[in-house]
Amino acid sequence: MFRKLSLPLLIFAFVSFLVFGSVVLSKEQLSETDIKESSLSESDENAILFNTVMDVLTHQRCINCHPSDNVPKQGEDSHPHRFDITRNNIEAATNCNTCHQASNNDFSGVPGAPHWALAPHNMQWEGLSRIEIAKSILDPQKNGNRSHEELMHHLTEHELVMWAWEPGKDLNGQTRETPPVPKDKFISAVKKWIESGAIIPENKN
Amino acid sequence: MITFNINGKEAEVDVDEYTPLLWVVRDVLNLKGTKFGCGKAACGACTLHVDGEAVRSCSFAVKYAQGKNIKTIEGLGNEENPHPVQKAWIEEIVPQCGYCQPGFMMACAALLNKNPNPSDEDIDNNIINICRCGTYFRMRKAIKRAAEIMEDSKMNLE
Amino acid sequence: MGKSKKFSRRKFLVRTGLGSLGIIALGTYVARNPLRRSLIESLESKVPSYKGRGSEAALWFELTKENKIVFHSPKVEMGQGIFTAFTQMIADEMDLRPDQIEVRAAATETGIIDALATGGSLSVASLWQPLRELAATMREMLKNEAASKLAVEVNTLKTKEGIIYGNASSLSYAEAAADVKEWNVPDTIPKPRTKGFKYVGKAMPRVDLKEKVFGAPLYGLDAEMPDMLYASVIRPGIVGAKFKKADSKKAASMPGVVKIVQIDDWIGLVAKTFAEALAAKDSIDVEWEVSKKWSEEELRNTLKVGKGEKFISQKEGSELDSESEEVLEMEFSSPIGAHAQIEPNGAVADYNNGKVTVILSTQAIGITQKQIAKALDMELEDVNVIPTHLGGGFGRRLDTKHAIQAVLMSKEVGRPVKYIFTRKEEFQNDMFRPPTHHILKGTLDKNEYINSLEHHYASGDVSINSAVQAPIVKTIVGMDLGAGRGAKIMYDLIPNRRAVQWHTTLPFATSWWRALGLLANTFAIESFVDELAIKADKNPIDFRLRMISDEGNGKRLKKVIQLASEKGNYSEELKNERAKGFAVSMDANSIAAHVAEVSIENGRIVVHKVTCAFDCGMVINPGQVRAQCEGAIIMGMSAAMFEKMTLEEGELKPTIYGPYEMIRIKHAPKEIDVHLIEGADIPLPVGEPPLGPIGAAIGNAIRRLTGIRLKDMPMQEALDLALTQNV
Repeated sequence: MFRKLSLPLLIFAFVSFLVFGSVVLSKEQLSETDIKESSLSESDENAILFNTVMDVLTHQRCINCHPSDNVPKQGEDSHPHRFDITRNNIEAATNCNTCHQASNNDFSGVPGAPHWALAPHNMQWEGLSRIEIAKSILDPQKNGNRSHEELMHHLTEHELVMWAWEPGKDLNGQTRETPPVPKDKFISAVKKWIESGAIIPENKN
Repeated sequence: MITFNINGKEAEVDVDEYTPLLWVVRDVLNLKGTKFGCGKAACGACTLHVDGEAVRSCSFAVKYAQGKNIKTIEGLGNEENPHPVQKAWIEEIVPQCGYCQPGFMMACAALLNKNPNPSDEDIDNNIINICRCGTYFRMRKAIKRAAEIMEDSKMNLE
Repeated sequence: MGKSKKFSRRKFLVRTGLGSLGIIALGTYVARNPLRRSLIESLESKVPSYKGRGSEAALWFELTKENKIVFHSPKVEMGQGIFTAFTQMIADEMDLRPDQIEVRAAATETGIIDALATGGSLSVASLWQPLRELAATMREMLKNEAASKLAVEVNTLKTKEGIIYGNASSLSYAEAAADVKEWNVPDTIPKPRTKGFKYVGKAMPRVDLKEKVFGAPLYGLDAEMPDMLYASVIRPGIVGAKFKKADSKKAASMPGVVKIVQIDDWIGLVAKTFAEALAAKDSIDVEWEVSKKWSEEELRNTLKVGKGEKFISQKEGSELDSESEEVLEMEFSSPIGAHAQIEPNGAVADYNNGKVTVILSTQAIGITQKQIAKALDMELEDVNVIPTHLGGGFGRRLDTKHAIQAVLMSKEVGRPVKYIFTRKEEFQNDMFRPPTHHILKGTLDKNEYINSLEHHYASGDVSINSAVQAPIVKTIVGMDLGAGRGAKIMYDLIPNRRAVQWHTTLPFATSWWRALGLLANTFAIESFVDELAIKADKNPIDFRLRMISDEGNGKRLKKVIQLASEKGNYSEELKNERAKGFAVSMDANSIAAHVAEVSIENGRIVVHKVTCAFDCGMVINPGQVRAQCEGAIIMGMSAAMFEKMTLEEGELKPTIYGPYEMIRIKHAPKEIDVHLIEGADIPLPVGEPPLGPIGAAIGNAIRRLTGIRLKDMPMQEALDLALTQNV
């Protein structure tokens, strides 16, 4: 499986082995942030774009509000939302907007952005693999009936998505962690990946 | 300048737009019924209504109040004309130290607004404020009593 | 009969220009040596009576021209309902309607200062006799004045609802008091009534009910002074950290900042609004000197039976032979507990021309006055402390020395200052409930009843090092009395009994927390007694009853146990996957027993119903006594099931509600059934005793339900752990 991989990739694989104890390297794990210039095949390039997007979508800033158990998560450790908040609260008297407003609140440490809400029921990503998340976001049944074009706009322009790079301070005044990919790189990766057909790399694990 | 309606009166305040509404209500407008408990939207003592919805005002920048209708405990009802929640609170003698109670009453009023006949589960899911004296037992009875009072007054109107 | 005594009507008494009354009565009621009496009474767990200081005239009652009585209470209202009980007591003694009485917490300038502060569930119990004597005396004095104004014999006069009736004419109390310069104080104190109460003993709504329902500004943090500024203080997050230096340049230029005060080891930010003070606070970089970072493990190794100062507080019969195979031994523990009262601490202070006025929520009015005077090197009478209603007390406000910081900041800026704690400051600078560690040992006799029972327990400070207790008490008594609440074995027919305290002062402040040691001690002892009953294969109710004599409080104790088990339908059998647990405790002569009906749903402890039998002696207001039982049960559940502070890298955490898990409406029992017994003809403590047995009652139910003995508070965490280990 390593036949096609270039030297930098091998170095990355080695480092990744040291750091993460990972023994399997697949295209799912290739990422633009970790890999410098190199001559790559088309599918490798697609894999890099894909993983760049997925580095963000699998980050807790995104996953915390895409739960699979109807319980929103909080914090870098993705603990269940305090006070037993669940999806049942969405339409209830005590709902997201009881505490979360259209912008972060530095006094309370409560995060906020326009349309602050839990992702819809059919957009559960928590616990899914990168490929599964990708399949989910490309599936009109699960992505709010969005075309690729619409999906691209959503991922690159929607204020709630963009909030991930301005997540504000937590209740202790500590700045929340942002996704591992800078916003502009993410946006360009999303665009390129979708424009080139939004191809999900094969899982060769 | 930020303007809004509070308890039926127009208010105009000249403060930093990110000031929590709580402090504007308490210290600028001198309505002390809305309480500071934690400042982190965790205890619910500062709950008031913005356009009829329960909001924790310690985590609500005053700029979002622009043009809205704010209601605090002072505007929920008064001795002459108590809100059903307040009536029920008096009947069941709910408060002890009383500090958290305005926040609870505002949260309960918002619940009954949306759900005039809440089940125990509805109460559990929506009333998540914190009371240290432990008045929860009477509170649950009072919420149900308030629902009855609302129902009765609706029937009387019909 | 009357003897003329002079007392000055001090300026402040006259608010309306008419009929303000002061009464010289303190001397009569204050013991010659309060300290000694307090000591002995605490030891014997009797109710100490009011301990005022000084013998000068003090303003207890004020009569307004609207013919209302204002009672300046030496005790504060923090939810426990005492202002209502006082109203009922005064109404009966003075022949007034409750609505003719207003109870107000006494400012120190009234002279009414109770060295006992407000705590220990003693307010009604300690004022029961003196307050009614004062009220009866005052009624007599008013009648005397009326007699001379109406020119009739005093014994022909009758009183009703604030009016003094002669045969042909009548005067209101206010009219009788008008223009009186010198009062005739009766030589002998009229005896308060012992029967025929119109208000005492009957449920009546709280006197502060409507104010609280309509959002009146009753609390310390609601207070204002003209031209007031707002302040926040920076305190260390790490236990024992010392202030080194700070960079406050940025903060100084932040909007609204008036002054950054740096005194000794703290920094205060004074700003035009509280939000501005908070924002500026966040921009200050403080360097702390940290000599040590405590860990939870280290704390647990420090606070342990066998370590610290040993004191044997109970020693009946002989000591257990620990080597014997017959001995059952179990270890229990409880964590650091936070008060978490919803109103943060704070103070509104004004330092003006050598005079200080402070308005705050405090349980320790006189102590706070002394602390301020001492810190600023002032005379006591130049410091007026005005207490308000408290947004919860629970013992936290027995030490409110932060008032000093508010005063110092006011002095620095030359304007009144309102200082408010942040919630993080509350959680990290609490006067915590100390963690505890318990070892219980016991043996059964040949009839399978308990032969030996020993309770060895370790605790941090409760009353030792507390602002409320004079340091000499520790020297004389030798133990921490607060930590020892509920620590003794109350089953007096057990031949061999021991209670052994191991006391350690911890590196962070620990102190009074509602019911003090009672919750943890009862959790340990009553869990263990239940375990011994299981070992003996006996019904735990009969098992307990057989170990109690008819001596002392024995009969009362048995009656409470019987009533709780009967009303709560106690049974060892499970029904609908629910089990019942029983526990009982005695605290300062008040006895409480609970039957808790419990199930476990998705791994969560669910308490469906608590049946409580409570003997707190004479009941002034059954409605509010019930409310106190309900509240104590719910607060006790919160502590026993959920709450826990831990030391992490030297910091006390968590710092906010939520991570600091507390009971909410969803966890509270849907049924709480309280049965009151009046087993004494005087009122006994109410607010704390019913908190005692709740942890053990729930634990005992879980034992029946699952076979698991939960030995550590918080119990939900202990259950989670036990269930994971069992998997």
